[in-house]
Amino acid sequence: MTTTAPAAAKVPAALRRQRRRRNLRTLAFLSPWLIGFSVFFAYPLGATVYYSFTRYDLINPPVWVGMRNWNYVLNDYPPLWQALRNTLWLVVVMVTLRVIFGLGLGMLAIRLKRGGGLFRTLSYLPYLAPPVAATIGFAFLLNPGTGPVNHLLGNVGMPQPGWFNDPDWSKPALTLLALWGIGDLLVIFTASLLDVPREQYEAAELDGVGPWQRFRYVTWPAITPVVLFAVVTGVIQTMQYYTQAMVAGKVASGIIGNSGQSFEPGYPQGTTLTLPQLVYEEGFSTFNTGAACVISLLLFVIAMAFTFLLLRRRSGLLDDD
Amino acid sequence: MAQTVTAEAAGIAPPLAPARTPPRPRRRKRVLTWIGVHTLAVTAVLFFILPFVFLFLTSVMSNKQALTSDLWPTSWEWGNYTKVMKTPGFGTWWRNTLMYAGLGTLFTVVSSLPVAYALAKFRFRFRGVALMLVISSMMLPPQVIIIPMYIFWAKQMHLSGTLWPLIIPMAFGDAFTIFLLRQFLLTIPSEYLDAARVDGCGELRILISIVVPMIRPAIAAVALFQFFYCWNDYFGPQVYASENPGAWTLSYGLESFKGAHQVNWNLMMAATLLVMAPVILVFFFAQKAFIEGVTLTGVKG
Amino acid sequence: MHRLPRLRRSITTLACAATLAMLASACAGDDGGSGTGADEAPDKKVTITFWHGWSAESEVKAVDDLVAKFNAKHPNIKVKVVSNVTDDKITQGIRSGKGPDVVSSFTTDNVGQFCTSGSWTDLAPWLAKSNIDPAATFPKPVLDYTQFQGKRCALPLLADSYGLYYNKDMFAAAGITAPPKTFTELTETAKKLNQLNGDGTFKVAGFLPTFHAYEFSAAHTLAQFGPTYQTPDGKSNLSKDPVVPQFFNWQKQFVESQGGFDKLEKFRTTFGEEFSAENPFMSGKLAMTMDGEWRTAMLAQDAPNLNYGTAPFPVPDDQLDKYGRSYLTGTTVGIAKSSHHQAAAWEFVKFVTTDTEAMVAFSQAIHNVPSTNAALAASPLANDEHFKPFIDAFKHPASNTTPASPNGGKYQVTLSEYAYKWEAGQGGDLTKSLADLDKQIDTDVAQVK
Repeated sequence: MTTTAPAAAKVPAALRRQRRRRNLRTLAFLSPWLIGFSVFFAYPLGATVYYSFTRYDLINPPVWVGMRNWNYVLNDYPPLWQALRNTLWLVVVMVTLRVIFGLGLGMLAIRLKRGGGLFRTLSYLPYLAPPVAATIGFAFLLNPGTGPVNHLLGNVGMPQPGWFNDPDWSKPALTLLALWGIGDLLVIFTASLLDVPREQYEAAELDGVGPWQRFRYVTWPAITPVVLFAVVTGVIQTMQYYTQAMVAGKVASGIIGNSGQSFEPGYPQGTTLTLPQLVYEEGFSTFNTGAACVISLLLFVIAMAFTFLLLRRRSGLLDDD
Repeated sequence: MAQTVTAEAAGIAPPLAPARTPPRPRRRKRVLTWIGVHTLAVTAVLFFILPFVFLFLTSVMSNKQALTSDLWPTSWEWGNYTKVMKTPGFGTWWRNTLMYAGLGTLFTVVSSLPVAYALAKFRFRFRGVALMLVISSMMLPPQVIIIPMYIFWAKQMHLSGTLWPLIIPMAFGDAFTIFLLRQFLLTIPSEYLDAARVDGCGELRILISIVVPMIRPAIAAVALFQFFYCWNDYFGPQVYASENPGAWTLSYGLESFKGAHQVNWNLMMAATLLVMAPVILVFFFAQKAFIEGVTLTGVKG
Repeated sequence: MHRLPRLRRSITTLACAATLAMLASACAGDDGGSGTGADEAPDKKVTITFWHGWSAESEVKAVDDLVAKFNAKHPNIKVKVVSNVTDDKITQGIRSGKGPDVVSSFTTDNVGQFCTSGSWTDLAPWLAKSNIDPAATFPKPVLDYTQFQGKRCALPLLADSYGLYYNKDMFAAAGITAPPKTFTELTETAKKLNQLNGDGTFKVAGFLPTFHAYEFSAAHTLAQFGPTYQTPDGKSNLSKDPVVPQFFNWQKQFVESQGGFDKLEKFRTTFGEEFSAENPFMSGKLAMTMDGEWRTAMLAQDAPNLNYGTAPFPVPDDQLDKYGRSYLTGTTVGIAKSSHHQAAAWEFVKFVTTDTEAMVAFSQAIHNVPSTNAALAASPLANDEHFKPFIDAFKHPASNTTPASPNGGKYQVTLSEYAYKWEAGQGGDLTKSLADLDKQIDTDVAQVK
C-alpha cells in the first residue's frame, strides 16, 4: 500500500478507502456485541422506563398512568425500605466479613508448605456448589429442630438459634452460607498475596518491624486494589442477591406456594427481602409490572453508582496494556 | 541469609535459625506457629467439608430418621438415590440443563471472542466508550431489565416456557466473557500479530489460527465460568420456564422437588448432592484453568 | 470537537431503535386467543391441556381417573394433564399466552384477578348454551366465590371445609372425653395433651396455634369469628370489625398458654411435610390440629392405625350458637382466555363440574366435598363418620369465605404478614396497626385499578 503513490490527489482517496475498510472490519468484529447490547441492554432499559409509567397486566394493552407507580413504590410500599435496609446490612456485614475471612484464609494458605494445594482445593469446593443446592443444604443443616448444627451446639451447651426461622438470625445464617462459599475470594487473595514483592519484606525485616506493621505497611498497600475490587464486586453481587434468600425463605417457612398458601418472600418477617425479590414478586407474581419497573430502575441506579466507583478508582480496567 | 529472611517474611518457617537470635526460643516459637497455623487450617477445612458430610449422611437415612436430630444413619438407604433418579422429570431436567449449559457456553465463547479481540487489538474511535459500556453491562443486575425482556420473549417471540430466551442472547456476546478474554488478549505481544499481517493474513485468520491457540487456557476458563453460570442459574429458568416443567433445569427443579416429593429431607439431600456432583467433578478435571480464570478476574487488568 | 456529534448521533439512533421496539411491543399487547375455536365442530379431534395443583400421588391418580372417564365419553378430545401447578405458574402461563386450555386453582383468592383481567374466559355464554342454571346446580357459597362483581369466570370443582382432628388415644390417656367446642375449652384441652421431653421441648403438642402451622392460617382461623373483610363499597374493614382484634388477642393468649412462640416454632421445624406420611398429626407429634376434609383420605392411606376423630372446629366462647361453622374454599376451574379450543375446553369443564357420577367418584377418591347439589345428595361420604362434620360445616349457614378482590389474595397476604409479626411479639399497637393495614390494603387495590 505504501510503495506506490501515483498521483497526489489519489492518496487521500486510497487512505480513506483503507480507513473505511478498517472501520467496517472493526464493526464486523464488534457486531455480535453491538446487536446484543442494543437488543438485550439498551432497548430493555428504555422499555423499563416506559413501562414504569404504565399499568400493564400482560393481558390488556398497557395504559399510561403517569407518575402513579413511582408514587406508589416510593410512598406506599413499605417492603422497598425493608429490602433496602436488608441490603445495607448485607453490604456492611456480609461483604466485610467475606473480605476479612478471605484475606485471613489467603494468608493461611500461603503459610502452608505441605498440603497447601489440598487446602486450597478443599476450601474452594463449596464455592462450586450450585447456590440452590447449597442453600437447601444449609436450610437443613441449620434447621432449628432437627439440624446437625443445633444438635452439636446443644451437646456442648451453647445456645441454639433459630437461624433461617428467626428474624434476628436469618441474615447471619445467610452470611454463614456466603462465608462457606468463599472460594472465589480465596483464590484472588492468595494470588495477590504471592505477588507482593519479596524485597519489601526483606527491607521490613531488616528494620525489625513486627508482623502487624509488616502487614500494615508492606502487604496492605500491595493488595489494596484487589481488596477494593473484592469490595465493589461484593457490593454489586449483594445488589443482585436473590437465589439464596429466596430459596432459604421457601424451604424454612415450609411454604412453597402450594395448596393455596402463597409464599411471602423475605421469610421470616421480611428479614431476607432484597430488591430483586421484589422485582420478581411484583412483576411475575402479582403482575404489577409498572411497580416492578420502578423497583428495577432504583436497583439500576444503585448498581451503576457502584460501577462508576469501580471504574474511577481502578482506571487500570480501561488501560490498553 | 537474604533468602532465609525472604521466606520468613512470606510466612514460611526458615529452614535454619539465624545466628543472631538464641536458638531455643526461636525454635519453640516456630513450633508454636506451626501448630497454630495447622490448627487453623484444619478448622477451616472442617468448616468447608463437614456440611457435605452431613448432607451425605442424611441422604442415606430413612424418611423418619431424617426428621430426627440423629447424625448417623441407622439404616443405609441407598435406594434414596434410585428413587430420586426415577422421579418424573429428573431426567428431563438433566437434559435441559446440559442443553442450556452446553449451547450457552458454545454461543458465548464463539460470539465473544471477536469482540474481545477487537477491543484489545484494534485501534478505533469510541474504543474507550465501548469498553466502559461492556463493563457497565457486566455489572448490571439481570433483574433490572427482566420485565421488558420477559414481555419481548413471551409476547413477541412466543418463547416463554422454554429455555431459548436464556440461550439465544448468549449468541450475542456476554459482557463478562468479553471483558475476561480482552484482559488475556492484552498480554499477547502485538508483534506476533503484526508479523502475521505482513504475511498478508486477514484478521479473522489471525484470530483463528494464531490467537486462539495461544489463549486456549483463557478460553477454557471463560467456558467453564459460563458453564457453571448456566448450570447454577435459578432466576432465569424461574422467570421463563416455570410454567412448563418440561423445560426446567436441575437448579430450578431441585427447589420444586420439595413439592413433588413432599419434602422428605433424605430424598431432598440425595437430590441436592446429585446436582452438586457434576459441577464438582468438572472442577477436579479442570481445576487449573478455573483457578487461573478466577485469579485473572481480580488480580490482573 | 468533532467527536461529540458522532457520539450524539449514534445515541440518537439507539434511542430511536429502542422507541420503535417499544412501540411495537406496546401495540402487540393483546394477543390472547379469545373467541378462536368457539365454532369448532364438536367432533373434531383436538388436544387440550389441563393444569391442576394436586401433588400427592393418590390425588394425581384420582385426577387421571376423572380424565379417563371424560375421554370415554368424548373420544375426540384428548386431555393432557399437568399436575402440581401453583397459582403463580397459572397467571404466568396465561399471561405469556402459552398457558393451558383448562386451568384450575386451589385458591379462590385469585378469582377476582382472573375475572377482572379477563385471563379466564367469561363462562356465562357457555352455561346458557348448555342450559345450565348455576343457581339451581351449585350451592350458594361455592357460587359466590367463583364469580367476581357479577362476572362468572370460574366454576367450582369440589369444595373444602375445615375442622378439628383429634387423636382419640391421646384424649383417652389424658382423660378427655369430648372434643372442645369453645376456644376456652380448646386451650384447656391442648394444655392437658402436651407432653414434654426431659429438656423441656415438646414431644407431643396438644395444639400448635402459630400461623405457619400448615392449615392454621390467619384466614382459616379468623373465619371462626365471622369477620367482615370489606365494607359494601369495597374498602378494607379490618380496623372497624371488633372480631379482628378479638381474634388476634385470642391467638396471642393461646400461644402463651402453650409455652410461647419460640418454643412452638422450634417444634414446628421438626415436622414433616404437610402432604406426606410424616404430617405431624399423622406421625403423632400433634394431638389436635386444624385441617381440611382431605386429610381423612390421607389418614386412611398412610396412617390406617391412627385412632382419631373429627369435629367442627371450636368457636369463640361468645359465639357458641355458630358452632359447626368453618372457613370454606375450594378448587376453581375455568377456561384460559388464550385457549384455542374453547369449545372442547368447555366440554371438559362442564363434565368435571356438573357430571354427578364423575363428581361423586372423584370426591370419594380424594375425600373432598362435592360441589353440586346433586352430587352432594348422592355422595356416600355423608355417611362416613369422619367425613360428616365437614359436609355439615359446608352446609352450615354461618360458614364463610374470604371475599374476592381485584388484586387477588394480596390483602390476605398483607394480613397474614402482620399476623406473623404479631405472634412473634412485634405487632406493636394493635388498633393502630389494623388501621395501617386497612390503609395499605386500600392503596394496593387502588394501584391495580
